[in-house]
Amino acid sequence: MKLINEYKANPKKLILPVLVAALLVLLGLSPNFTKPYATIMLGTIMMYIILSLSWNMFSGATGYVSLATAAFFGVGVYVSAFFGSSLSLPLLMLMGGIFSFVIAFLVGAVTLRLRGVYFTIFTLGIVKLLEQLMLYLEITFNKTRGRFVVSYTFTEVFYWLFILMILVILLSVFIKRTRFGLALKCIAEGEDAAMHIGIGSTMVKILAFAISSFAMGAAGAAMATRWTYIDPYIAFSTNLSFLPVLMVIFGGGRHVFGPLIGAVVFAYIQELLITDFPYVYMLAFGVIMIVSIIFMPNGIVGVIENIVGRIKKAKGGRKNADP
Amino acid sequence: MKKKSVLALILAVLAVFMLLSACAKSETGAPQDGQTPDAGESKIDPNKETIVFGGSRSISGVYAFFEQSAYGPIYKMWVDEVNADGGLYVEEYGKKMPIELKVYDDTSDLSTMTRMLEKAIVEDNVDFILPPVSTAFLYAAAPIANKYGKVLMGAEGGSATLKESIAQYPYFFSSLNFSDTQVPALVDILKEEDIKSAYIVFIEDLHGTEYSGAAIPALANAGIDVKGVKSVPADIQDMTSIINDAISTGADAFLCMTYPDQGYLALNQSISMNYNPKIWFMGSGGGFSSIVDIFGNDVVEGIMSWGAWNTKSSEACKDYFDRFYARYKDDPNVSYDYWGLVHYYAGLQCVQEAIEKTGTLDNAKVRDYLANNHFTTVLGDTWFENNMIAPECFMGNVGQWQNGIFEVIDRSSKATSDPIVPKPEWPAA
Repeated sequence: MKLINEYKANPKKLILPVLVAALLVLLGLSPNFTKPYATIMLGTIMMYIILSLSWNMFSGATGYVSLATAAFFGVGVYVSAFFGSSLSLPLLMLMGGIFSFVIAFLVGAVTLRLRGVYFTIFTLGIVKLLEQLMLYLEITFNKTRGRFVVSYTFTEVFYWLFILMILVILLSVFIKRTRFGLALKCIAEGEDAAMHIGIGSTMVKILAFAISSFAMGAAGAAMATRWTYIDPYIAFSTNLSFLPVLMVIFGGGRHVFGPLIGAVVFAYIQELLITDFPYVYMLAFGVIMIVSIIFMPNGIVGVIENIVGRIKKAKGGRKNADP
Repeated sequence: MKKKSVLALILAVLAVFMLLSACAKSETGAPQDGQTPDAGESKIDPNKETIVFGGSRSISGVYAFFEQSAYGPIYKMWVDEVNADGGLYVEEYGKKMPIELKVYDDTSDLSTMTRMLEKAIVEDNVDFILPPVSTAFLYAAAPIANKYGKVLMGAEGGSATLKESIAQYPYFFSSLNFSDTQVPALVDILKEEDIKSAYIVFIEDLHGTEYSGAAIPALANAGIDVKGVKSVPADIQDMTSIINDAISTGADAFLCMTYPDQGYLALNQSISMNYNPKIWFMGSGGGFSSIVDIFGNDVVEGIMSWGAWNTKSSEACKDYFDRFYARYKDDPNVSYDYWGLVHYYAGLQCVQEAIEKTGTLDNAKVRDYLANNHFTTVLGDTWFENNMIAPECFMGNVGQWQNGIFEVIDRSSKATSDPIVPKPEWPAA
């Protein structure tokens, strides 16, 4: 009742929630009114959103650049490959998330005492380690390299990725507003100082690393059911370690919606170039990335913030200039 | 309060979509996974002028080599040949219809491949699909092809060990020969040439695992001592330690079951280390003309590889090679593959004949025709057994470079020459 009265008193406050809700409703209903391929494409975009938001949840917050995204995504992929025939899709995603969480927790406990480039290289090493371990196990025990994965319709995968994406958005917003989020921010701004004021930086980092990997694993479990056949090189493709980082840079990592916008625009440009300019795709994509990094160091969100700031400044200037 | 209300609304929307997802139906009329689509009547659009073949190929990325040098030149030549003849006659349309290509780049990425293949099927409504590049991509494409009821005639890639899994995808056909016929053919040759021991190197992937996995017991059964087995990663840069090990074992045969990159590296380093066993066998890539372009005739003399066919195999093979050569002789990127070149083309010829004989673009009918009939192709009489091309159709399984020709040396009536064992010495530097 208090909330309703507040909105009655100031209806402008309703604009943002209604807009967000309308966008989500539109996205959620899209399989019913868009072409089937649009649903497939949106599913892929949501996967990128999940990965880039998850990456930003830990790396963006702490400044520790992790390239282990592909490792946790691959764990989820293999969960679907192993258990796909006996578990439903949401359970596969849950299991993929839990496996990734546990592995990330253990790996984090060992590696998160490392800092800077050493940590980054180590995380890339985890991807290669898991890839080679799976390769060895498959060749030794399965006598082959790849395996089929049970397949789900793209509508089912779309809805479960949609749910996961919303949870990741909520989690990103939530973490930023908690003491835990503040601790991560302190670590980014000065880890030694953070420790001096009583933040258990190692445990905070390990937890953030593990939480962010949960969604990566869950996304991997969902996407594997669309790929239908996987092997260690596919599951642990380093593309999935680097692309989320690029998407965050492209969108801007300071705001929660930066990675989201980056993932959407990035994936759309990629799609446009692949389908309409297949022979110059890599060249054009490379040029776009270089130009973006040079002229948009804070990403798309940074550009928007800049424009809004200038408009406000201009308005303020005019007000001051008025006699 | 505003922030809390945003969260509350999002959670409400989330709850709604959880319900929606629980009730989610399968997409627009597409058959469910694992089911064979109905062989219903195809919709005939009288204004339709072309037959669209489309799909996803690796135009860029690590597999671009195959699009540029393997299946790519073949399907493009086939399309041009068909179109030069006015197209394929489709009875239900009562006219010849030229072929139109709609090919997307998957950037050698599997997730992009599956997405682009579905785009071609559900958005572009292609009539027939082209196979993607590599074994893994082909197997990922097979369930998609089956789901939408699209004939998938495989090209680069495939595997004997996955035959059982593939059986559940009746729309997938394989046009290439694999380890189940090639390894026994090689072992027969080694046995006949009195080879006592072998050293195996294999690439750590499906291809290498399968071929070495078949070769090790087959060699042992033939009384050939396997003196060493080494696996190598795809990005190996130095094989000198492996070659040193092979030298130390004194094995009669060096069997390098890898891809061109690793095989060419091993060959180069064998020459520089003067390692010249009686048999020097290279896996995939050993039968490509590029090996001659890189190393020269003198060096490759006596090298064996999988395959195999050549212009002596049949008049049809010679005619095909002449046409292919005439078209691509000035293109430095195109290699002449004496393993897959005829198989890929034969696969396309089978699809062509199936469309014309059934007189329809209905994939279900074309599939049934492909599965149950014989075709006249560059391989001669061609047919499929359990969707795999029948072994009797192969021009050969093992080849050897002899005077610049990749001779078929199987112990069969299709051989074009006898094996040269031991292989000649490496030419003086």
